[in-house]
Amino acid sequence: MARKSTNNAISEILNFGENFEAAQRKFPHMPVGEAVDMGFDENGVPLIDPRIFDSGEFGRNPYPYYKIMRDHYPVFYDELHNCYFVTRYEDITNCYFDELGFNTIPKGSSSGVLGNTQLELSGIEHRRRRNIYGRHLVGSALTKRLHALEAIAQELIEEWWLQDNPKELIIDNEKGIATLELGKAFANEFPISVVAEVLGIPQDARQEFTWWYDAMMSGLGGSETHHEGLEARQDLENYVEDLVEEKRGNPTYLADESGEEICMDIISELCNSEIDGDVMSTEEITSFIALVVGGGGETTRGAIMNLWYLLLQHQDQYQAVQRNEELWDTAFHEMLRHSTSIGGQPRHNTNEIVMHGVIIPSGSLIHMVDVSANHDERIFTNPEEFNIFRDDLYSGKILRSGHNKEGKCSHMAFGVGPHLCPGAWISHQETVIGSQILEAAFRNVRINKERMPKDIDGVSLAPIGLGSIRELWLDFEIPTN
Amino acid sequence: MDLSEEYDHDEEPEAAPGYRTYEVYQRERVGETTNLIKPRQLISNEYLEDPYPLLEILRENYPCYRDWLNNRFWITRYDDVTSVFTDDRNFETRPKNWHNILMNGSLSLWKVKEVQQQYENLVDNHISDVVDEVLTSFDKKDINLATEFCIQVPLRLFSKVIGIPEEDVEQFLALYWKSRLVNGWNPSHKQRGTSAMQEMETMVDEICAARRLEPQNDLITSILQTANLNRDVTAQDVILTFLDIDQDTFIGGLSNLWFNLMANPIEMEKILDDRRMLKFAWLETLRFSPPVLSAERFAKYEIERFGRLIPQGGLMMCSAAAANRDPRQFNEPNKFVIGRKDLCQREPRGQYRADGLPSGIAFSLGKPSIHPAVPKERARSMYAIVRDCAVIASELLLNSYPNLKLQKDTNPKLTALNLGDIHTCWDLNVEL
Repeated sequence: MARKSTNNAISEILNFGENFEAAQRKFPHMPVGEAVDMGFDENGVPLIDPRIFDSGEFGRNPYPYYKIMRDHYPVFYDELHNCYFVTRYEDITNCYFDELGFNTIPKGSSSGVLGNTQLELSGIEHRRRRNIYGRHLVGSALTKRLHALEAIAQELIEEWWLQDNPKELIIDNEKGIATLELGKAFANEFPISVVAEVLGIPQDARQEFTWWYDAMMSGLGGSETHHEGLEARQDLENYVEDLVEEKRGNPTYLADESGEEICMDIISELCNSEIDGDVMSTEEITSFIALVVGGGGETTRGAIMNLWYLLLQHQDQYQAVQRNEELWDTAFHEMLRHSTSIGGQPRHNTNEIVMHGVIIPSGSLIHMVDVSANHDERIFTNPEEFNIFRDDLYSGKILRSGHNKEGKCSHMAFGVGPHLCPGAWISHQETVIGSQILEAAFRNVRINKERMPKDIDGVSLAPIGLGSIRELWLDFEIPTN
Repeated sequence: MDLSEEYDHDEEPEAAPGYRTYEVYQRERVGETTNLIKPRQLISNEYLEDPYPLLEILRENYPCYRDWLNNRFWITRYDDVTSVFTDDRNFETRPKNWHNILMNGSLSLWKVKEVQQQYENLVDNHISDVVDEVLTSFDKKDINLATEFCIQVPLRLFSKVIGIPEEDVEQFLALYWKSRLVNGWNPSHKQRGTSAMQEMETMVDEICAARRLEPQNDLITSILQTANLNRDVTAQDVILTFLDIDQDTFIGGLSNLWFNLMANPIEMEKILDDRRMLKFAWLETLRFSPPVLSAERFAKYEIERFGRLIPQGGLMMCSAAAANRDPRQFNEPNKFVIGRKDLCQREPRGQYRADGLPSGIAFSLGKPSIHPAVPKERARSMYAIVRDCAVIASELLLNSYPNLKLQKDTNPKLTALNLGDIHTCWDLNVEL
């Protein structure tokens, strides 16, 4: 009798391994906008299996999962990864402004590649260092340099038609159609050239600089190429060492259109700045450069790619932008709201807090999910829709304080508060000026759907998901002159 | 030059509010990569099946491994693990989820001295009978020792000790097992665990009512009678006490003991020659294959340890499995050797050492006593109770079936059914 009585209990024990997948779970790919069924609790609330965050499905289709979190778990505790997710616009904004309550933290394996950067500092130290280079990226220092942006963009476009075809255009003279991959032809190189220019990297080192940038970017996130990224950083550091020595004695200056000196380039400025009476070490300057390269290169590349992808998929909106140049700014902001390439920012809370009934012990890792805030239906109507005409998105000047007035809120792609992206203004200018020049170079441009990466059905185009699209193939008419 | 004048530390300015020094210490140094292992591997099926090779990579290359994916620090060397474990000043445990679910003021009464004493008495009184019962129920020559013995003994002992009526045993044990799921990371499991706890509450409530009217010689009666809470003991208090007893890991320990004995016939000979070696076999099992692979501790404050700055709230994943195979402590750590000379052969006290020798770290199999000797007025530690039960059960099994051996063509292995579950053998097919 007794033995029989334990048998069912034993089969229950052993069945747990069969009823649930073990450590790894394969999630099926769902149509964009629909979440995998991960079960429901007794009240019918959908459950979130934290293994979803490591899945390919989440990378390509994150928004329905964020919606579940926003609606049912505004603070989601992921016990597998030992972290919390905050997903609503208002909560994230409040946390970003509360510098006392939430610390920035080291950014994982990127620290090895990028080094000791602004991202990881808080408070006075953050402000002090940021002030050194921040002013190069805003205001008159930026406005006076816009001509350089235009020149770099024009130069890249001229390369399309060179004899040796460095940008690998596919030309069909019979049909009069040229095909290019926008990344290869323009977006990969444009932001990084701008960054090199603003930093003051000499012209003859630009090619190496682009290689270091590529290697460092692919080495982020502890990936297979991490080691290569670290080597690239070491190379960059060796190179910067000589450059710094040179610029400490002989600073170089950026010039405006008429050749007048505006200010020192960023590296010269860093070489000749002091913090607490100490000059900055070469290692520190390298980290600054790495951050500006990382922040200013990949994200702006993604912005240009996503903007063109979204506009060309909404031809009416593209035509409106063509008719009215001012709409490029609006389109830029709506693109960042809809599909920004930076998912969010991690924070540590300095004290135990209770948010939406969830106790978050002091020192916990909290992910502020900016992309979720941008799709918060409490702020933006039909958030999944790309619509440059929407009336609930603020698309004026980017403000550190954010904007939340008269039914218009700013997007979160640059964050808000003390850690607002310092490259926001220059990135904005690069994307808009670059796109305007591209628009002038294209006639009757459209997406070449055959060459584009496909989604799971093999027919529709792969979604942007988290990040930016990798390839954008475009057809356009070959200019006659 | 007088250096003392040059470096007057008293004059150094105080750090300004918000001033952070993480970047100075915390940054992974250029050139240091963790290409030998990926954090993803530590939550993979590979880890569930055989964690030891992965843990060896950590222990030998990254003794304090920053697992960015899962936001934790893996501590894998013996002295490091025990240093965190004994440092209550800087590291803390956090209440398990079942405490959160049974929140409304309920308390585990496991710490009450009388409850522990009664538990010890009841276990000592029942263990032989329970094992005999299990042994007499063997009705064939080939059995799965894991499911028909190593699971049966602890579960039946537990239900007998606490006093579950015979007709409710099956349901109770299933609920008890399921209720432990609430501590995991998996939301579906948690949900099942929560509903099991609710069902168990109804059941235990009825039993408590019956015991109040008619006390018996069991643990429920003891809990109801001895607690001094200034209020009536509730079913929730009783359940919390049961859950704190951690009976399920005993299953893992017993199964691992027999897995190791069956897989190492030469070592088994030592037992057959001298039954006293069974105690040492148990101790070596705790070292060689602890069923609970790791335990979590959280940094109470920002603290510098193991060459890193551990942030406040940092999760230290203290790996018993890795520490127990640390070659800095044990010769040939990957060998199962009964009576090894570099393992302490008695209950370690406080520091996980005795006689200058390390012990196997086995979480949840009973905390060793922190007292230098067992005072008469207090129960033996859970460590000792569980060990003695395992030894008695195994001895009785061997007395009945001295020729026990693995069935031909079987290849038993240890595995965890889910991430965070006990790492043990669920299929151990033997000939009696």
